[in-house]
Amino acid sequence: MLTGCSWFATELTSDTTQGQALFLLHCADCHEGAHPDLHKQPPRLEGLFQSKTLPSGAPATDAQVRKTIIEGRRTMPAFDQRLSDKDLDDLIKYLHTLK
Amino acid sequence: MNLRKLKLVSGIILFAVSFVMSAWSQTKSKRYDLQGEVLSKNPAAHEITVRHGNIPGFMPAMTMPYKVKDPAVMQELQAGDKIAAVLVVHGDDYWLENVRITDRSGRKTAKAVAAAHLLAVGESVPDLPLKNQDGKTIRFRDFRGKAVLLTFIYTRCPMPNFCPRLSSQFAKIHDDLKKTPEDYRRTHLLSITFDPKYDTAAVLRRYGLAYLDDDASGFAHWDFASTTPGDLRQLANAFGLEYVEEDNQISHSMNIVLIAPDGTVAKYWSTEWTAAELETALREQAAKATATSPQTSARNR
Repeated sequence: MLTGCSWFATELTSDTTQGQALFLLHCADCHEGAHPDLHKQPPRLEGLFQSKTLPSGAPATDAQVRKTIIEGRRTMPAFDQRLSDKDLDDLIKYLHTLK
Repeated sequence: MNLRKLKLVSGIILFAVSFVMSAWSQTKSKRYDLQGEVLSKNPAAHEITVRHGNIPGFMPAMTMPYKVKDPAVMQELQAGDKIAAVLVVHGDDYWLENVRITDRSGRKTAKAVAAAHLLAVGESVPDLPLKNQDGKTIRFRDFRGKAVLLTFIYTRCPMPNFCPRLSSQFAKIHDDLKKTPEDYRRTHLLSITFDPKYDTAAVLRRYGLAYLDDDASGFAHWDFASTTPGDLRQLANAFGLEYVEEDNQISHSMNIVLIAPDGTVAKYWSTEWTAAELETALREQAAKATATSPQTSARNR
Protein backbone atom coordinates (compact mmCIF):
# COMPACT_ATOMS: atom_id res chain seq x y z
CA MET A 1 0.00 0.00 0.00
CA LEU A 2 2.85 2.35 0.64
CA THR A 3 5.29 1.95 -2.22
CA GLY A 4 5.62 5.55 -3.31
CA CYS A 5 8.37 5.45 -5.87
CA SER A 6 6.45 3.87 -8.74
CA TRP A 7 3.74 6.51 -8.91
CA PHE A 8 5.70 8.58 -11.40
CA ALA A 9 5.99 5.79 -13.93
CA THR A 10 2.85 6.89 -15.80
CA GLU A 11 2.76 10.31 -17.38
CA LEU A 12 0.65 12.57 -15.22
CA THR A 13 -1.51 14.84 -17.30
CA SER A 14 -3.18 17.88 -15.85
CA ASP A 15 -6.50 16.01 -16.12
CA THR A 16 -6.07 13.22 -13.58
CA THR A 17 -8.85 10.80 -14.09
CA GLN A 18 -10.73 8.97 -11.42
CA GLY A 19 -9.59 5.73 -13.04
CA GLN A 20 -6.01 6.70 -12.61
CA ALA A 21 -6.59 7.50 -8.94
CA LEU A 22 -8.16 4.07 -8.49
CA PHE A 23 -5.26 2.43 -10.27
CA LEU A 24 -2.72 4.14 -8.04
CA LEU A 25 -4.67 3.23 -4.93
CA HIS A 26 -5.53 -0.39 -5.71
CA CYS A 27 -3.35 -1.73 -8.51
CA ALA A 28 0.00 0.00 -8.72
CA ASP A 29 1.40 -1.53 -5.56
CA CYS A 30 1.49 -4.93 -7.19
CA HIS A 31 1.49 -4.20 -10.89
CA GLU A 32 4.39 -1.78 -10.78
CA GLY A 33 7.84 -2.17 -9.35
CA ALA A 34 9.81 -5.29 -8.64
CA HIS A 35 8.52 -7.90 -6.21
CA PRO A 36 11.25 -10.47 -5.61
CA ASP A 37 9.44 -11.77 -2.53
CA LEU A 38 6.28 -12.74 -4.37
CA HIS A 39 5.58 -16.25 -5.63
CA LYS A 40 4.60 -14.88 -9.03
CA GLN A 41 5.55 -11.49 -10.42
CA PRO A 42 2.40 -9.47 -11.11
CA PRO A 43 2.40 -8.56 -14.82
CA ARG A 44 2.90 -4.96 -15.94
CA LEU A 45 -0.28 -3.57 -17.41
CA GLU A 46 1.11 -1.27 -20.09
CA GLY A 47 -0.36 -2.26 -23.43
CA LEU A 48 -2.94 -4.48 -21.73
CA PHE A 49 -5.59 -3.82 -24.35
CA GLN A 50 -3.15 -3.52 -27.26
CA SER A 51 -2.76 -7.26 -27.37
CA LYS A 52 -5.51 -9.74 -28.30
CA THR A 53 -4.98 -11.63 -25.06
CA LEU A 54 -4.42 -10.79 -21.43
CA PRO A 55 -1.37 -12.12 -19.55
CA SER A 56 -3.60 -15.02 -18.48
CA GLY A 57 -4.27 -15.94 -22.11
CA ALA A 58 -7.91 -14.90 -21.90
CA PRO A 59 -9.25 -12.53 -24.56
CA ALA A 60 -8.43 -8.87 -23.91
CA THR A 61 -11.98 -7.61 -23.47
CA ASP A 62 -13.52 -5.26 -20.94
CA ALA A 63 -15.69 -8.09 -19.66
CA GLN A 64 -12.72 -10.39 -19.08
CA VAL A 65 -10.70 -7.69 -17.32
CA ARG A 66 -13.71 -6.83 -15.17
CA LYS A 67 -14.11 -10.50 -14.22
CA THR A 68 -10.44 -10.77 -13.30
CA ILE A 69 -10.54 -7.70 -11.08
CA ILE A 70 -13.72 -8.82 -9.29
CA GLU A 71 -12.81 -12.50 -8.85
CA GLY A 72 -9.05 -12.29 -8.64
CA ARG A 73 -6.91 -14.85 -10.35
CA ARG A 74 -4.33 -17.22 -8.91
CA THR A 75 -2.26 -15.07 -6.53
CA MET A 76 -4.09 -11.85 -7.46
CA PRO A 77 -6.65 -10.95 -4.78
CA ALA A 78 -10.33 -10.50 -5.58
CA PHE A 79 -11.65 -6.93 -5.45
CA ASP A 80 -15.17 -8.21 -5.07
CA GLN A 81 -17.24 -5.87 -2.85
CA ARG A 82 -14.38 -3.40 -2.78
CA LEU A 83 -14.98 -1.58 -6.05
CA SER A 84 -18.31 -0.23 -7.25
CA ASP A 85 -19.55 -0.70 -10.82
CA LYS A 86 -18.57 2.90 -11.54
CA ASP A 87 -15.11 2.33 -10.06
CA LEU A 88 -14.67 -0.64 -12.37
CA ASP A 89 -15.86 1.38 -15.39
CA ASP A 90 -13.42 4.20 -14.60
CA LEU A 91 -10.57 1.81 -13.88
CA ILE A 92 -11.06 -0.10 -17.12
CA LYS A 93 -11.25 3.18 -19.06
CA TYR A 94 -7.93 4.11 -17.54
CA LEU A 95 -6.40 0.72 -18.29
CA HIS A 96 -7.19 1.34 -21.96
CA THR A 97 -4.88 4.37 -21.86
CA LEU A 98 -1.87 2.41 -20.64
CA LYS A 99 0.48 1.91 -23.55
CA MET B 1 26.09 42.76 -14.34
CA ASN B 2 23.11 45.11 -14.01
CA LEU B 3 20.16 44.44 -11.69
CA ARG B 4 17.80 43.27 -14.42
CA LYS B 5 20.27 40.75 -15.77
CA LEU B 6 20.98 39.58 -12.23
CA LYS B 7 17.28 38.98 -11.65
CA LEU B 8 17.02 37.11 -14.92
CA VAL B 9 20.04 34.92 -14.24
CA SER B 10 18.98 34.14 -10.67
CA GLY B 11 15.49 33.45 -11.94
CA ILE B 12 16.85 30.93 -14.42
CA ILE B 13 19.04 29.33 -11.77
CA LEU B 14 16.11 29.07 -9.35
CA PHE B 15 13.96 27.51 -12.05
CA ALA B 16 16.70 25.03 -12.95
CA VAL B 17 17.27 24.11 -9.34
CA SER B 18 13.58 23.63 -8.62
CA PHE B 19 13.24 21.53 -11.78
CA VAL B 20 16.10 19.30 -10.68
CA MET B 21 14.75 19.18 -7.14
CA SER B 22 11.30 18.10 -8.25
CA ALA B 23 12.77 15.41 -10.47
CA TRP B 24 15.08 14.32 -7.71
CA SER B 25 12.21 14.43 -5.22
CA GLN B 26 10.89 11.25 -6.74
CA THR B 27 13.53 9.42 -4.74
CA LYS B 28 13.30 11.71 -1.75
CA SER B 29 10.87 11.22 1.11
CA LYS B 30 7.21 12.07 0.80
CA ARG B 31 5.57 13.43 3.92
CA TYR B 32 1.89 13.22 4.81
CA ASP B 33 -0.10 14.47 7.75
CA LEU B 34 -1.71 11.68 9.71
CA GLN B 35 -4.27 11.84 12.52
CA GLY B 36 -5.49 8.85 14.39
CA GLU B 37 -5.84 6.80 17.50
CA VAL B 38 -3.28 4.46 18.97
CA LEU B 39 -4.80 1.01 19.40
CA SER B 40 -1.74 -0.71 20.80
CA LYS B 41 1.99 -0.57 20.90
CA ASN B 42 4.79 -3.06 20.47
CA PRO B 43 7.92 -1.41 21.88
CA ALA B 44 10.13 -4.39 21.06
CA ALA B 45 9.28 -3.96 17.39
CA HIS B 46 9.30 -0.12 17.65
CA GLU B 47 5.74 -0.11 16.34
CA ILE B 48 2.36 1.25 17.20
CA THR B 49 -0.91 0.20 15.65
CA VAL B 50 -2.86 3.27 14.61
CA ARG B 51 -6.44 3.65 13.39
CA HIS B 52 -6.12 6.72 11.22
CA GLY B 53 -8.19 8.77 8.85
CA ASN B 54 -8.04 9.20 5.11
CA ILE B 55 -4.81 10.61 3.74
CA PRO B 56 -6.11 12.33 0.60
CA GLY B 57 -4.69 10.99 -2.62
CA PHE B 58 -2.51 8.50 -0.81
CA MET B 59 -4.29 6.06 1.45
CA PRO B 60 -7.83 5.50 2.67
CA ALA B 61 -8.63 5.38 6.39
CA MET B 62 -6.90 2.37 7.79
CA THR B 63 -5.73 0.57 10.88
CA MET B 64 -2.20 -0.74 10.67
CA PRO B 65 1.18 -0.81 12.40
CA TYR B 66 3.72 1.98 11.93
CA LYS B 67 7.30 2.29 13.07
CA VAL B 68 8.08 5.01 15.58
CA LYS B 69 11.82 5.41 15.89
CA ASP B 70 11.99 7.71 18.89
CA PRO B 71 12.07 5.54 22.07
CA ALA B 72 10.96 8.46 24.27
CA VAL B 73 7.85 8.92 22.15
CA MET B 74 7.22 5.18 22.19
CA GLN B 75 7.43 5.12 25.96
CA GLU B 76 4.97 8.00 26.29
CA LEU B 77 2.31 6.66 23.92
CA GLN B 78 -0.56 4.63 25.32
CA ALA B 79 -3.47 2.80 23.73
CA GLY B 80 -6.39 5.22 23.42
CA ASP B 81 -4.19 8.26 22.74
CA LYS B 82 -5.18 10.44 19.83
CA ILE B 83 -2.16 11.50 17.84
CA ALA B 84 -1.06 13.75 15.01
CA ALA B 85 2.08 12.73 13.17
CA VAL B 86 3.94 12.96 9.93
CA LEU B 87 3.98 9.80 7.86
CA VAL B 88 7.27 9.67 6.00
CA VAL B 89 7.43 7.46 2.93
CA HIS B 90 10.80 6.78 1.38
CA GLY B 91 10.60 4.23 -1.39
CA ASP B 92 9.31 1.01 0.20
CA ASP B 93 10.14 2.19 3.70
CA TYR B 94 7.82 4.25 5.85
CA TRP B 95 7.60 5.49 9.42
CA LEU B 96 6.06 8.13 11.68
CA GLU B 97 7.87 11.28 12.73
CA ASN B 98 6.92 14.24 14.85
CA VAL B 99 4.34 12.24 16.79
CA ARG B 100 2.29 14.48 19.07
CA ILE B 101 -0.38 13.28 21.49
CA THR B 102 -3.40 15.51 20.96
CA ASP B 103 -5.77 13.83 23.43
CA ARG B 104 -4.96 11.51 26.30
CA SER B 105 -8.51 11.07 27.58
CA GLY B 106 -8.98 7.77 25.78
CA ARG B 107 -6.41 5.96 27.86
CA LYS B 108 -8.81 4.71 30.53
CA THR B 109 -11.53 3.56 28.20
CA ALA B 110 -9.21 2.30 25.51
CA LYS B 111 -10.55 -0.77 23.82
CA ALA B 112 -7.04 -2.04 23.68
CA VAL B 113 -6.90 -5.45 22.13
CA ALA B 114 -6.52 -7.29 25.37
CA ALA B 115 -5.90 -10.95 24.81
CA ALA B 116 -8.38 -13.03 26.76
CA HIS B 117 -5.39 -15.23 27.19
CA LEU B 118 -2.28 -14.75 25.14
CA LEU B 119 -0.41 -18.02 24.93
CA ALA B 120 3.08 -17.97 26.29
CA VAL B 121 5.88 -20.04 24.81
CA GLY B 122 5.42 -23.54 26.18
CA GLU B 123 1.64 -23.37 26.50
CA SER B 124 -0.59 -25.71 24.50
CA VAL B 125 -2.46 -24.35 21.52
CA PRO B 126 -6.28 -24.42 21.79
CA ASP B 127 -8.23 -27.40 20.52
CA LEU B 128 -10.48 -25.57 18.07
CA PRO B 129 -11.92 -27.14 14.95
CA LEU B 130 -10.85 -25.72 11.62
CA LYS B 131 -12.29 -26.38 8.18
CA ASN B 132 -9.67 -26.89 5.51
CA GLN B 133 -9.69 -26.28 1.76
CA ASP B 134 -11.26 -29.71 1.18
CA GLY B 135 -14.09 -28.97 3.58
CA LYS B 136 -12.64 -31.41 6.13
CA THR B 137 -12.53 -30.64 9.83
CA ILE B 138 -9.00 -30.52 11.16
CA ARG B 139 -7.65 -29.75 14.61
CA PHE B 140 -4.26 -28.73 15.94
CA ARG B 141 -3.99 -32.08 17.69
CA ASP B 142 -3.98 -33.77 14.27
CA PHE B 143 -0.46 -32.42 13.89
CA ARG B 144 1.00 -33.74 17.13
CA GLY B 145 4.35 -35.26 16.37
CA LYS B 146 5.05 -32.62 13.73
CA ALA B 147 6.42 -29.12 13.89
CA VAL B 148 3.81 -26.67 12.60
CA LEU B 149 4.27 -23.22 11.16
CA LEU B 150 1.05 -21.29 11.50
CA THR B 151 0.01 -17.94 10.11
CA PHE B 152 -3.09 -15.90 9.36
CA ILE B 153 -3.98 -14.44 5.98
CA TYR B 154 -6.98 -13.58 3.89
CA THR B 155 -7.22 -14.16 0.16
CA ARG B 156 -8.47 -10.65 -0.71
CA CYS B 157 -5.48 -8.93 0.88
CA PRO B 158 -4.34 -6.29 -1.63
CA MET B 159 -1.07 -5.32 0.02
CA PRO B 160 1.87 -7.10 -1.57
CA ASN B 161 4.03 -6.87 1.53
CA PHE B 162 1.43 -8.51 3.74
CA CYS B 163 -0.46 -11.70 2.98
CA PRO B 164 0.84 -12.17 -0.58
CA ARG B 165 4.38 -11.97 0.70
CA LEU B 166 3.59 -14.23 3.64
CA SER B 167 2.01 -16.91 1.46
CA SER B 168 4.82 -16.58 -1.07
CA GLN B 169 7.40 -17.20 1.63
CA PHE B 170 5.41 -20.14 2.97
CA ALA B 171 5.40 -21.51 -0.59
CA LYS B 172 9.17 -21.19 -0.67
CA ILE B 173 9.46 -23.02 2.65
CA HIS B 174 7.09 -25.71 1.40
CA ASP B 175 9.15 -26.21 -1.77
CA ASP B 176 12.39 -26.36 0.21
CA LEU B 177 10.97 -28.91 2.63
CA LYS B 178 9.80 -31.10 -0.25
CA LYS B 179 13.47 -31.62 -1.13
CA THR B 180 14.10 -33.25 2.25
CA PRO B 181 11.48 -35.99 2.68
CA GLU B 182 12.24 -36.62 6.34
CA ASP B 183 11.72 -32.99 7.30
CA TYR B 184 8.73 -32.80 4.97
CA ARG B 185 7.10 -35.66 6.87
CA ARG B 186 7.78 -34.09 10.25
CA THR B 187 6.45 -30.61 9.42
CA HIS B 188 3.19 -28.97 8.50
CA LEU B 189 2.14 -25.53 7.33
CA LEU B 190 -1.15 -23.93 8.27
CA SER B 191 -2.65 -20.74 6.90
CA ILE B 192 -5.86 -19.63 8.63
CA THR B 193 -8.06 -16.95 7.15
CA PHE B 194 -9.24 -13.74 8.84
CA ASP B 195 -12.10 -13.60 6.39
CA PRO B 196 -14.14 -16.81 6.70
CA LYS B 197 -17.17 -15.18 5.06
CA TYR B 198 -15.41 -14.68 1.76
CA ASP B 199 -12.72 -17.35 2.11
CA THR B 200 -14.84 -20.44 1.77
CA ALA B 201 -13.24 -23.85 1.30
CA ALA B 202 -13.49 -23.46 -2.50
CA VAL B 203 -11.84 -20.03 -2.42
CA LEU B 204 -9.09 -21.31 -0.12
CA ARG B 205 -8.51 -24.27 -2.38
CA ARG B 206 -8.03 -22.04 -5.45
CA TYR B 207 -5.74 -19.78 -3.44
CA GLY B 208 -3.75 -22.73 -2.14
CA LEU B 209 -3.35 -24.23 -5.59
CA ALA B 210 -1.93 -20.93 -6.86
CA TYR B 211 0.80 -21.11 -4.21
CA LEU B 212 1.26 -24.87 -4.65
CA ASP B 213 1.64 -24.44 -8.43
CA ASP B 214 -1.45 -26.61 -8.95
CA ASP B 215 0.00 -29.59 -7.10
CA ALA B 216 -2.90 -30.63 -4.87
CA SER B 217 -0.76 -33.25 -3.13
CA GLY B 218 0.81 -30.27 -1.38
CA PHE B 219 -2.34 -29.87 0.69
CA ALA B 220 -1.24 -32.92 2.68
CA HIS B 221 1.54 -30.71 3.98
CA TRP B 222 -0.07 -27.25 3.87
CA ASP B 223 -3.63 -26.64 4.97
CA PHE B 224 -5.58 -23.48 4.22
CA ALA B 225 -8.33 -23.30 6.79
CA SER B 226 -11.11 -21.25 8.24
CA THR B 227 -12.95 -21.14 11.55
CA THR B 228 -16.21 -19.66 12.78
CA PRO B 229 -16.00 -15.93 13.57
CA GLY B 230 -16.22 -16.69 17.30
CA ASP B 231 -13.41 -19.24 17.18
CA LEU B 232 -11.37 -16.89 15.01
CA ARG B 233 -11.58 -14.25 17.73
CA GLN B 234 -10.50 -16.84 20.27
CA LEU B 235 -7.55 -17.89 18.12
CA ALA B 236 -6.61 -14.27 17.56
CA ASN B 237 -6.59 -13.68 21.30
CA ALA B 238 -4.58 -16.80 21.91
CA PHE B 239 -1.93 -15.77 19.43
CA GLY B 240 -1.94 -12.05 20.15
CA LEU B 241 -3.35 -11.08 16.77
CA GLU B 242 -5.17 -7.88 16.04
CA TYR B 243 -7.59 -7.58 13.20
CA VAL B 244 -10.23 -5.01 12.30
CA GLU B 245 -12.68 -5.09 9.43
CA GLU B 246 -13.00 -1.74 7.73
CA ASP B 247 -14.39 -0.76 4.35
CA ASN B 248 -14.20 -4.33 3.12
CA GLN B 249 -10.56 -4.50 3.96
CA ILE B 250 -9.20 -6.31 6.97
CA SER B 251 -6.42 -4.58 8.80
CA HIS B 252 -4.41 -7.04 10.78
CA SER B 253 -1.11 -7.55 12.43
CA MET B 254 1.18 -10.10 10.97
CA ASN B 255 1.82 -13.06 13.13
CA ILE B 256 3.64 -16.33 12.55
CA VAL B 257 3.64 -19.02 15.20
CA LEU B 258 5.86 -22.06 15.46
CA ILE B 259 4.16 -24.95 17.24
CA ALA B 260 6.28 -27.74 18.66
CA PRO B 261 5.51 -31.44 18.02
CA ASP B 262 3.98 -31.62 21.49
CA GLY B 263 1.38 -28.99 20.57
CA THR B 264 2.88 -26.12 22.52
CA VAL B 265 3.89 -22.69 21.28
CA ALA B 266 7.59 -22.63 20.48
CA LYS B 267 8.07 -19.17 18.95
CA TYR B 268 6.34 -16.06 17.63
CA TRP B 269 7.33 -13.68 14.85
CA SER B 270 5.56 -10.53 13.75
CA THR B 271 7.03 -8.22 11.16
CA GLU B 272 10.75 -8.91 11.24
CA TRP B 273 11.40 -12.32 9.74
CA THR B 274 12.89 -14.02 6.72
CA ALA B 275 11.76 -17.24 5.07
CA ALA B 276 15.20 -18.70 5.82
CA GLU B 277 14.83 -17.95 9.51
CA LEU B 278 11.35 -19.51 9.66
CA GLU B 279 12.49 -22.57 7.78
CA THR B 280 15.52 -23.10 10.03
CA ALA B 281 13.40 -22.82 13.15
CA LEU B 282 10.80 -25.20 11.68
CA ARG B 283 13.42 -27.81 10.82
CA GLU B 284 14.96 -27.53 14.28
CA GLN B 285 11.59 -28.22 15.88
CA ALA B 286 10.95 -31.06 13.45
CA ALA B 287 14.16 -32.71 14.63
CA LYS B 288 12.47 -33.02 18.01
CA ALA B 289 9.54 -34.90 16.47
CA THR B 290 9.31 -38.62 16.93
CA ALA B 291 10.04 -40.53 13.73
CA THR B 292 6.84 -42.52 13.93
CA SER B 293 3.74 -41.02 15.40
CA PRO B 294 0.20 -42.45 15.47
CA GLN B 295 -1.10 -39.07 14.24
CA THR B 296 0.94 -39.16 11.05
CA SER B 297 -0.81 -42.28 9.82
CA ALA B 298 -4.18 -40.75 10.68
CA ARG B 299 -3.39 -37.98 8.20
CA ASN B 300 -3.26 -40.46 5.35
CA ARG B 301 -4.35 -38.79 2.15
